[in-house]
Amino acid sequence: MKRSLLILLAALALGAALFAGAYFAAHRASELCCARPADDLNWLQLEFHLSNAELARIRELHEGYLPQCAERCARIAEKKRELDALLGSGTNATGVPVKQAEIAALRAECQSNMLAHFVAVSQAMPPAQGDRYLAEMKKFTLGAHEKIEQSMSGDCVHEHSH
Amino acid sequence: MNIEDSKLSVWLRESRATPALPSRFQENVWRRIESTAAAPEKSGNWLDALAALILRPRLAFAGVALLLLTGTLLGAQSGVQTARHAAQMRYVAAVAHEFTDRQ
Repeated sequence: MKRSLLILLAALALGAALFAGAYFAAHRASELCCARPADDLNWLQLEFHLSNAELARIRELHEGYLPQCAERCARIAEKKRELDALLGSGTNATGVPVKQAEIAALRAECQSNMLAHFVAVSQAMPPAQGDRYLAEMKKFTLGAHEKIEQSMSGDCVHEHSH
Repeated sequence: MNIEDSKLSVWLRESRATPALPSRFQENVWRRIESTAAAPEKSGNWLDALAALILRPRLAFAGVALLLLTGTLLGAQSGVQTARHAAQMRYVAAVAHEFTDRQ
């Protein structure tokens, strides 16, 4: 009986090791194999089943949008540095709200351009895929902020209840 | 054997005390014999059978092949999903890096 138990335990251990080995090897291999797309838009074409013509139109939009996006991000980063400098100096506290308002205005501009880009890209896709694309992008961009705001408002309620 | 010997035998047999057996003695003896014979089989039975089954070469190879195949398929599927998610995050970061959820 003891021998049988040992055989079963050894078989279980061997089985688990074989399964885990095969699983992780295949996971790594397929991850490496699929993780080298030609560019950022490769995912878009696969995920939303785009034709080459649709992808070409989206690429045009994408390449037109990226430099504008980078330029706005650089401006936001510059304003953030200025805000940090003001907060670090501690002398000119009145300039802080002005700088925050400037950053907020730039972010709002950036966000509205980003949403306009998403809408333009979604319109270059078949309607059903376009709707799905918009929903996905909203989840990853605006959704992130909604999550933070919800958690913050939850914290506030928690704080005030004490 | 002479007459004297046979008398002696009868006399000896009669003088030997034979204790009375407890009631249902024979039945109890058989029951104990049966339970002793059955006991070791019950406890080790299924383990031994399973161990014997595992050690059969055909079943062992089939089991190994099944585990390798299942592991490979599930691992490949999970790897593809991870890669797709990473590609999606790269695209989102490229078009909206000021507004993405940086966790």
